[in-house]
Amino acid sequence: MAASGPNHQADELLAASRQAVGSARCLTDAASRAVYARDSSHLSLGRPLAVVLPRTDEQVAAVVAACADHDVPFVVRGSGTGLSGGAVPGDGAVVISVVQLDDLGPVDVLDRRVRVGVGVLNDRVSSHAAPFGLHFAPDPSSQSASTIGGNIAENAGGPHCLKVGVTLQHLLRLEWLDAGGRRWTTGRGLVCERGIDLLGLLTGSEGTLGLVTHADLKLTPDPVETATLLAVFPRLDEATTAVIDLLGGGLMPVAVEMVDQPVLEVVEAAFGFGFPTDVEAAMIVEFAGGGEAVAEDADRAQRRLLAGGAREVRLAADEHERLELWRCRKKAFGAVGRISPCYVTMDVVVPLGRLPDLVTAIGRIKREHGVKVATAFHAGDGNLHPGVMYDDRDEASTRRAHAAADHIIETALAMGGSVTGEHGVGIEKRHVIGQQLEATAAGLMTGIKELFDPRDLCNPGKLVPPAGTTYSGGRSLPSQPHYRWDSLTVTAPATTPLAEIQATALARGFWVPVGLGLRRAGRGDAGAEDAALTEDAVGTVGDAVANLLPGPTVLGTGTARDFLLELWGETGDGRAFHTGAPVFKNVAGYDLPHLLCGSGRLLARPLGATLQLRPAPETVAWWRFRAAAFDRRCLEPLLAELGRWDGARSGAACLGELTTSTATLTVLAAGRDRAWDLDRKNDALLAWARQWGLTTRDGARLPCREAVNLLASDAIPGWAGQGADWTLACRLIDTPHDEPLPPPVTRFVWNAAPRLVWLPALVRDAAPGWFFDPFLRGGVVTPPPPPAPSVPRSVLAGLKALFDPGDSLDTPDWLRAAATTGDSIATRVSTPRGAPDA
Amino acid sequence: MLEAHNAVAAPGADNDALRERLDSLLRTCIQCGLCLPHCATYLATANETRSPRGRLLLLGEVLRDAPAPVGSDVLAAFDDCLGCHACEATCPSGITGDLLDHARDLAADGVKQRSLVPARVLDSRPLLAWLGTLATMTRGVLRRVAGAAWRQRLEGCPAPLRLVGRMLGTVPAASSDDRRLIRQLDTLTGQRTPTVDDREADGSGPSVAFFRGCANAALLPGVSRRLRSLLRASGCLVVIPAGQDCCGALAAHTGRHERRAILHQRNQAAFADAPACDYIVVEAAGCGLELRGYPDPPAGTVRDASVLLDSLDLPAFGTVPLRVALHDPCHALHGQGIAEQPRRLLGRVPGLSIQPVAEASVCCGSGGAYALRHPELSAAMGRRKARLLAASGAQLVVTTNPGCLGQIADGLALEAPQMPIVPLSDLLWYAWMRGVVASARNSA
Repeated sequence: MAASGPNHQADELLAASRQAVGSARCLTDAASRAVYARDSSHLSLGRPLAVVLPRTDEQVAAVVAACADHDVPFVVRGSGTGLSGGAVPGDGAVVISVVQLDDLGPVDVLDRRVRVGVGVLNDRVSSHAAPFGLHFAPDPSSQSASTIGGNIAENAGGPHCLKVGVTLQHLLRLEWLDAGGRRWTTGRGLVCERGIDLLGLLTGSEGTLGLVTHADLKLTPDPVETATLLAVFPRLDEATTAVIDLLGGGLMPVAVEMVDQPVLEVVEAAFGFGFPTDVEAAMIVEFAGGGEAVAEDADRAQRRLLAGGAREVRLAADEHERLELWRCRKKAFGAVGRISPCYVTMDVVVPLGRLPDLVTAIGRIKREHGVKVATAFHAGDGNLHPGVMYDDRDEASTRRAHAAADHIIETALAMGGSVTGEHGVGIEKRHVIGQQLEATAAGLMTGIKELFDPRDLCNPGKLVPPAGTTYSGGRSLPSQPHYRWDSLTVTAPATTPLAEIQATALARGFWVPVGLGLRRAGRGDAGAEDAALTEDAVGTVGDAVANLLPGPTVLGTGTARDFLLELWGETGDGRAFHTGAPVFKNVAGYDLPHLLCGSGRLLARPLGATLQLRPAPETVAWWRFRAAAFDRRCLEPLLAELGRWDGARSGAACLGELTTSTATLTVLAAGRDRAWDLDRKNDALLAWARQWGLTTRDGARLPCREAVNLLASDAIPGWAGQGADWTLACRLIDTPHDEPLPPPVTRFVWNAAPRLVWLPALVRDAAPGWFFDPFLRGGVVTPPPPPAPSVPRSVLAGLKALFDPGDSLDTPDWLRAAATTGDSIATRVSTPRGAPDA
Repeated sequence: MLEAHNAVAAPGADNDALRERLDSLLRTCIQCGLCLPHCATYLATANETRSPRGRLLLLGEVLRDAPAPVGSDVLAAFDDCLGCHACEATCPSGITGDLLDHARDLAADGVKQRSLVPARVLDSRPLLAWLGTLATMTRGVLRRVAGAAWRQRLEGCPAPLRLVGRMLGTVPAASSDDRRLIRQLDTLTGQRTPTVDDREADGSGPSVAFFRGCANAALLPGVSRRLRSLLRASGCLVVIPAGQDCCGALAAHTGRHERRAILHQRNQAAFADAPACDYIVVEAAGCGLELRGYPDPPAGTVRDASVLLDSLDLPAFGTVPLRVALHDPCHALHGQGIAEQPRRLLGRVPGLSIQPVAEASVCCGSGGAYALRHPELSAAMGRRKARLLAASGAQLVVTTNPGCLGQIADGLALEAPQMPIVPLSDLLWYAWMRGVVASARNSA
């Protein structure tokens, strides 16, 4: 049990650790080593050498550096609530507990962000932001105990990630330590940042590439209204079909959760909520957002669920009942411990449309193997947690359970699914992800691990499959766009015009909400349908993925980064690869799709992608205002008002042309043509215009599917289509909010969500506090701009060498220079915050 | 400091049965870790061996490795458990504190008890009262010599003086001094509040037998007096049965089970001799929990004072425009499930608002005799609690247990010296007095 014999290296390391954190915070007693050998997963590898409890980033860095100096592996740990063994140390490793990095920075209310230490508990972030009407959206069931650091390491999901996305979608920037203990960041923390995306790569990397100490988080406005439905279904298969019917019918709940009868029985026995236990499934469907839309959607959902076979659909009477429902759901799986000493907790995901098939298959597998299975579903995500029960004192029962679990995994993979949606690979699934990963992509992942951690010190034995693994995964790319309306995805070759995707999807009430590109000058043929979109300068699926946006755009509620699920690509030296899966959640292996998304063509050429489809808004409205005597101060309240609409995910936009004395402002908004939505928005705008002495020129409303015509019409000012040069402007962290636009600006396109500004010219002069990305030059997309100085150049150069060894793809000067800086990672110890980044 | 001995070494039928029972209980723990943020010792140390899950993992190791001797580090982890039962409330698998109690018993056998003050001193109410007076006088002198920040200045001294400071700081008050609690409220509201003469009960309410308790009787007699006065004003007939003694909780905390049984019998006799009452009303949550757990319960239904008050027609309250943070004693919240009643009572006071507090259900670290046996860990928990209470934006802390009162008062003295703490019953009494003043003014 004790560390084997006197070990000189270990003694020196312990001395260094004690010096860094104080001897009382460096635990080597048998009790500590026994407790920290375990986490929630019931898995273990061995006994750690020591457990250190640092209080500051500097102390963590000193301990990591000491480990590197003495060649001792280390494992970073939060609350140890992970379910795949990610925080479990091997023999002789050092456990670094970061729970005391628990500082909460001030809430930036206007930019809706906060910087926190990774030891902060997930739900503490939300209570910290609550006085400002904001919260941190990812809400894993462990949220009362799990740390932000753990959420980042696993790219955690949670019931409410259906509408708003998983942890990665709520991160802006990480401060991290590499395997040598040197401090870096992932970038500037902009709302839209092109470049090789280390944030995307590190998130979900399970502590195998380095160690995160602080994070800038996005906060989400609290919903004005919430409606929570409880539906009970006599038949499980009808319940799963009802979920598809709900989402495929254009409704977008924030959460669709489900439990089957075994779970229901346990929950009812444990918490006595009053669930019926004679039904096969109970479902929680929650709508949240602004005002009456919630009640309208809940009403539609109620009717659909009843039509789909629900025996009863009940609306939570009050906040107390609502919270009680969620408490039951979040503790559901823990309660299974009451009926079974052990269970294999699985985390498979399938495309939404295959959910009924998988549930049927699990029923069959259960009978075949003679095991009991209790399942909790993040049903809207197609993510299932079947718990296969067994008794570890009975060898046959244990064997049967694991065989059944393997069978479930094979079945899910055959349906195009993933082995793990949110729990991570850890130790548990390291031996099975070979079945899911494609060989070239897996080779790139192994290369990434070797690049970041050549001596295999960062959480060894996790995530990356062991040497000798056979990779049998991968899917072929269809030659034509392939729409799966029951799964809300579209898979298309990179050359497909984004406009074609949007037009087809809009015809069915869906779209990829990255916005509608403005028309280009001299090409737009107002008579031809879709002209605005097909003629767009950066109009393909590949461009959207490689460069985040279809150029200057309006009405988008995010970038392709928020909706990218699966990617086919080709490295610089012509190796084709496939990575990701056509499912809403997937943490099997490093997140190559998000490493590459927005990286231009620096590392790879996109060949095709699967994107998530979302319900499109019903109606688009526009208003045009003019001012003879223009007061610049009127812009701030206008943009603040637009930014508040629909919980800040409205995609409202403002196109402006300002001179010293006059102004023309065109406002676009999406919504519902009802008294409580677009009429109310109309009233707010007119009141604003009156207050600032603007006259209303014209305006109109039209169905969303005809928005393409709007963009080709006179409603959009001519200059918005004439320029072939465009610059994307984003506010840097910590910039004061006294100006909503970068000064000086005369023409601009402003997007509410994400909040960014397009300028129809090449802007090179830096305005303090703003970052300019010269996005389009002469109608052609430029390579991504140089990253922030606090991003390690040697890592970027290493990735370049891994993906594009012959420099046959774009190689801007800054990246070429990075390759020759040699060992920059060893020499640059940066102070990340406040570094001038422009 | 700790000496290990072999607690589960002897192999035998009894031990095997116990091991099996514990093992099957342990198996329901799914190691989810949801208990961690509810455990005061874990929060104060950031060390998972001081968390419920960590202790259960260690108990598992002990059972598996038996009959190997249990290491002192394992025993220390068990011994540090407060027994606050906060972990139970959050456990999805429904594990109860029994399991940890077994672990603690294991530690109690294996660890030589060390205490700042011998537990026997606490058995004597006159001695306790005398200690309280001594502490109060010393505090008065220190305040004069070292200023208002005397407690903080002692904290900067070498270890023995720090311990003296700790002892002085955690004594809630004393008979000569407890009017100070009301003066603190006057300072906050900018009022001067008189004490109105006792009223006779109008007989509209229940008859209640008053359990005096040790700490309340010896250190906070004024608080008890004011509570009885408020009960009478609410229509109760209040009887104080003679011959009552300590409830027995302290003896239990210090592992003296024979003395505990004697005290149980003494109290049963005292309450049996008294006139029959509807309720036994108890001020301290710890006493209430112990009384409710008597194998042979005394006559009458045991009611926590806050629960009883909540069910009564209270006299008219005046306005008390304060922001208040409420600290629930573990023996009330986790031990007796008392959560709503104190909040409803505060809600009855016009002008008063309740501030939400982070880690509200976490123990303050007092834990009866625990504070004397683990002075440093207990102090760390008290300071953390005080910081969070101060961060709530409240002007005043309210609680319902004398142990918590002293513990948090000491933490506040170090972390937020401007912030007072008073018993809930005193705040209600104060609101009543404000009501009397207001109605006198109106009729004048």
